[in-house]
Amino acid sequence: MSKKVYLDYASTTYVSSEVLNEMLPCFNAVYGNSNSLHSYGREASSLVDRARDRIKNAIGAEKSNEIYFTSGGTEANNWAIKGIAHAYSEKGKHIIVSKIEHKSLLDACASLEEEGFEVSYLPVDKHGLVNMGELIHLIRKDTILVSIMAVNNEIGTIQNIKAIAKICHDYNVLFHTDASQAIGAIKINVKDMEIDAMTMTAHKIYGPKGVGALYLKDGIRIENLIYGGSQERGKRGGTVNVPSVVGFGRAVESANRDIMINQQKVRNVREYFLKNVNERIPYVTVNGHPIQKVNGILNLCFEMVDKESLLMLLDIEGVAVSAGSACTSNSTLQSHVLKAIGISDEFANSSIRFSFGKNTTKADLDFAIDALVKSVERLRSISALTKAGRK
Amino acid sequence: MFNERIMKRFTNPKYAGGLRGANGTGRSGDSECGDLIKIYILVNDENVITEAKFKAYGGVCTIVACDIACGLIEGRSLEAALRTNYYQILEEMGQVPENREYTATLAEEAIKNAIDDFYKKKEKDLKGKK
Repeated sequence: MSKKVYLDYASTTYVSSEVLNEMLPCFNAVYGNSNSLHSYGREASSLVDRARDRIKNAIGAEKSNEIYFTSGGTEANNWAIKGIAHAYSEKGKHIIVSKIEHKSLLDACASLEEEGFEVSYLPVDKHGLVNMGELIHLIRKDTILVSIMAVNNEIGTIQNIKAIAKICHDYNVLFHTDASQAIGAIKINVKDMEIDAMTMTAHKIYGPKGVGALYLKDGIRIENLIYGGSQERGKRGGTVNVPSVVGFGRAVESANRDIMINQQKVRNVREYFLKNVNERIPYVTVNGHPIQKVNGILNLCFEMVDKESLLMLLDIEGVAVSAGSACTSNSTLQSHVLKAIGISDEFANSSIRFSFGKNTTKADLDFAIDALVKSVERLRSISALTKAGRK
Repeated sequence: MFNERIMKRFTNPKYAGGLRGANGTGRSGDSECGDLIKIYILVNDENVITEAKFKAYGGVCTIVACDIACGLIEGRSLEAALRTNYYQILEEMGQVPENREYTATLAEEAIKNAIDDFYKKKEKDLKGKK
């Protein structure tokens, strides 16, 4: 089989063997319904409790029952925004979110707007950081919730979450953050950072797909998501997906335990990649923050080259990358994130995201860079855009 | 996402590149909108397109539509080439995602603009000779 290199870890990772090994017995050995009273059920329930504890410890939550399992980040985002908005609608109907949130959050906001809520979209600067002065300016008496993602999925910019949360609380507004890309990449402590609600997902940290969680600080109200069961304190009914929840618990614990070593590895990988790309390919720019960003995400603009054509040529060469978010990459829509940081449509249309994993090797990168050089040169040789006038 | 015919043509376009001595160039699209196409034609004294080439900044379907368009007009008279429409291009592309069908109209527009450019240049030449 010809060599293939995966550089799309921000879309999803594989399941690590330590996670998989903990999950496997849950399929056919500990298979009880975690809600059942008998020994089979209690055994499964204890594994679910353990997973909840592991997540609680990793994010610095006070109680395990502040963790609600969901089917993933999209569900947690939808639930957080709509559930909190509905629960606090008597206080007000105004919400503030950044312009660079994940589609799952923006679309949930759009549905709230249809219900009569008002949503303000907070702009970001050219590096993707929200303007905190503007945030204060937007907060009103009827503002109930602010949601700003911890780490952007397309450009990797890290927001000043602690400071943002502080502002929200100064004005008596709840604060939610989507930490789907942050867990395992930056240290998160919900207590220290004063986070009221937080979205998490397993499949970006070597856990299984289809499982995530919403952290909700004790005392904060949320509308029930799914009726028909006592699971997740009656707020999200349905038989618990025990294997996935167990895998998620292990994934979060490992991600937290190995954060320093993995981040160093990924940082070295990114720097090696960028240095070689810069040496071998002209007219390349980096989108996003120069420093305040996660190590695993690198968004590059290859001038005069269309992102879809480049992505397809790289795929043919055996290199898997992404044109921004996997959730929107099948459409021809421009990235709302790159637009929000002020990148021209042409440059946004020439930008692709590379994301690296803890086991990405230099050999993988050399292979990917060779493919990239070849593909970019080929597309530029037939591009209708010319180098004239470009620096 | 794309059919085999499109992928084959995308990886091995026959008519991609510039054309030395082209006497007609047609542009269409806009790089800010994601596609910019240039079709070059070389027309002989009998008004026959002896060679056609293209350059494109755009996605897979844009490149394939241009390649097909050049194939449809090369070796044909200007009159016949002007009758090339996006239906023919789409037909050769096979199943095309609905949001990429516009690439065929862009290619058609570039052909027309290239022929228009040829005639404009010719008129200029004729005026110059007077």
